[in-house]
Amino acid sequence: MFPAFFVCTKSEVQRVLALEKRFIDKLKTYLIFAGPTTLAFLTVIILPFLFGIYLTFTNWDGIAKAYDFVGFSNYVTVFRDDAFWRSFLLTVKYVAYTVVIVNTLGFILAYILTGDQVPGQNLLRTGFFVPNLIGGIILGLVWRFIFSNILVFIGRQLNISFLSYSWLTNPDKVLWTLVIVSVWQYSGYMMIIFIAGLVNIPKDLIEAARIDGANGFQRLRMLILPLMVPSFIVTVFLTIQRGFMVYDVNLALTQGGPFKTSELISMHVYEKAFLAQQYGVGQSQAFFLFLLVAAISVTQVYFSKKLEVEA
Amino acid sequence: MKRTGLGLCLLVLVLVLASFSPAVLAQDVHITILNSKGEIQTQLEEIAAYYSSITDGVTVEVIAAPVGQSPFERAVALYASGNAPAILMLDAGDVLLFQDRALALNDEKWVKDAIPNSLDMATAEDGRILAFPVTVEGYGFIYNKAVLNEAVGGEFDPATINTRDALKELFDTIENSGNNAIVIGPEDWSLGAHFFALAYSGQSPDLAEVNAFLEGLKNGTVKLADNAVANGLLDTFDLMKEYNYDRLDPLASTYDRGTQLIGEGEVGVWFQGNWAWPGIADFDTTGGQFGFLPVPISNDPTDLGNTQIPVGVTKYFILDGEQNSPAQQQAAKDFLNWLVYDPEGQRRFVQDASIIPAFSNITIAPNDPLSASIMEYIQEGKTMNFILNLPPDHWANVGASMQKYLSNFINRAAFFAEVEAYWQGVGK
Repeated sequence: MFPAFFVCTKSEVQRVLALEKRFIDKLKTYLIFAGPTTLAFLTVIILPFLFGIYLTFTNWDGIAKAYDFVGFSNYVTVFRDDAFWRSFLLTVKYVAYTVVIVNTLGFILAYILTGDQVPGQNLLRTGFFVPNLIGGIILGLVWRFIFSNILVFIGRQLNISFLSYSWLTNPDKVLWTLVIVSVWQYSGYMMIIFIAGLVNIPKDLIEAARIDGANGFQRLRMLILPLMVPSFIVTVFLTIQRGFMVYDVNLALTQGGPFKTSELISMHVYEKAFLAQQYGVGQSQAFFLFLLVAAISVTQVYFSKKLEVEA
Repeated sequence: MKRTGLGLCLLVLVLVLASFSPAVLAQDVHITILNSKGEIQTQLEEIAAYYSSITDGVTVEVIAAPVGQSPFERAVALYASGNAPAILMLDAGDVLLFQDRALALNDEKWVKDAIPNSLDMATAEDGRILAFPVTVEGYGFIYNKAVLNEAVGGEFDPATINTRDALKELFDTIENSGNNAIVIGPEDWSLGAHFFALAYSGQSPDLAEVNAFLEGLKNGTVKLADNAVANGLLDTFDLMKEYNYDRLDPLASTYDRGTQLIGEGEVGVWFQGNWAWPGIADFDTTGGQFGFLPVPISNDPTDLGNTQIPVGVTKYFILDGEQNSPAQQQAAKDFLNWLVYDPEGQRRFVQDASIIPAFSNITIAPNDPLSASIMEYIQEGKTMNFILNLPPDHWANVGASMQKYLSNFINRAAFFAEVEAYWQGVGK
């Protein structure tokens, strides 16, 4: 076997050199424009992520200098931890409720606010969007006051039995307080995405459908909804991902209470790592959670892409 | 054009790198204290400002561990960012976790002036003393003296409450006088770390026997249902539940509401510790007439806990020996010595910040009535162990079970089963 360059013709060598030069040029352009971002992404996301995976195989408590390798025993602990699974199922329930309600409500709002005969559209759009600009902690504290003081006051004054006691202390109702606040927080945001989708539907298509005799419901069902699939892919993805990751509202509104019945998965992971001082186990839970959420989101995007239609 | 692009890139890189290098160019020594007693943040800041003003070239800054975040967690984050304060105030149980990074303090002058047992939780297995005892704290039933005087029609004597029946009688007397007897704070830390911990410390005045009891819970040989102290404590809790101001919705109450109700005399009794004083003081209408009652667990006045209240060193300062320069470490040591030995330091630390000191050379006492009441119990020897070596997630888990019991969500057998299950899972 002769080394390759012996059999290369001159033109082939030139082509290889040209390719190499093009690659170096590309790399330069890349480094100039995206270099700093790549560096930042690498140092604050990728490296900690990999280091985190490494820590799942140790029994580190978060501060000690020495720790031992424990193999996969942290993962075994996670699988055997009833509290983790209870919290996970609760989160799945919460995500299911919020995804359905937020998207339905967001779409209805968007549909109404892009109609012809609604006065003050811009004002209303802004109004519905504003809750999304308030930080989760403040939002949680505001709603805690509403749930534990205002609603209870109204309930007792008017003798409405289901409002007379704080929902935040009732293990059966506390999940709904989280759902209500999340719906209030995100519906307006999703509405904006839906509005962007709705105004992009070509008017002539709707016009044509109308001339063909389709009534309002038929136009919505057969024309607008199929054309809105790209918007739904984005909104459902966002709501699923945010639902699984929610922590701030959970902390400020319920603090996981009463007696841990509203402890969503992020809070559970956090408490395992920092309160129980079992960093390895907490990190394993977090990594496991990452895999699950990634799998769910990718599946969702993959399958809903298939629903997309061309106008 | 290309040149400028590359140059710009380099400039950005240099700027990024420059921002990472530590800015310790100044000659002056700057030290930081992590404070985890939120209620004395302002007082500590004033002490730091004063100390900075009287020393040459030393500035002291106080940073706070945010409410709702454990000091351990804040300290871990500061260490991970290479930004550890020179002095860190930690919970007693967390001190030894930092033994790789804390400075050994065996040669400090205050070590021999520290009160007996106050350094137990600060001493590593190899004999190094790693922490400075910040404060002694205690807890029990806080009473509003004005309400109780009105109820008993004269001067209320706290020594009369030494059995559960006496407590019930007191509650009845308060209710008959038109006031409310008690409010139970539903916080998990209060119910788990303080109230139910009475069942552990009530087992024996000897800490070794308490630890043996906890060991028994871990390996499943102790059955709480057969334990007189645990049952007695819950009998008292049942009594408290019966007279609870918020009995209709017991979990809806809050800590702040408790400070207001006791401060304004809306209720006569509240279960808390002397750390609650700054909160109560905001609502105080009685001119500072407050004190502590023990939590009785039986009807025999000689039983442990019926006349004693739990007292212990709850907070420690550790000095960082890793990320601070020798000059900063020395400045931190000097600051602690100033607190213990300088008259002005003592006065500001003990009286301005309402700290019960853990040093026998300090003769002045805090001014607030709750600390004064704790000091009285200490002087009369009526104290028991404040259990501080519980597992770090004990308060959250046992506290949650206590909340269930408080809101009648589970009965006593189920409560004991949950607590036993928690202990058997510790460290697994």
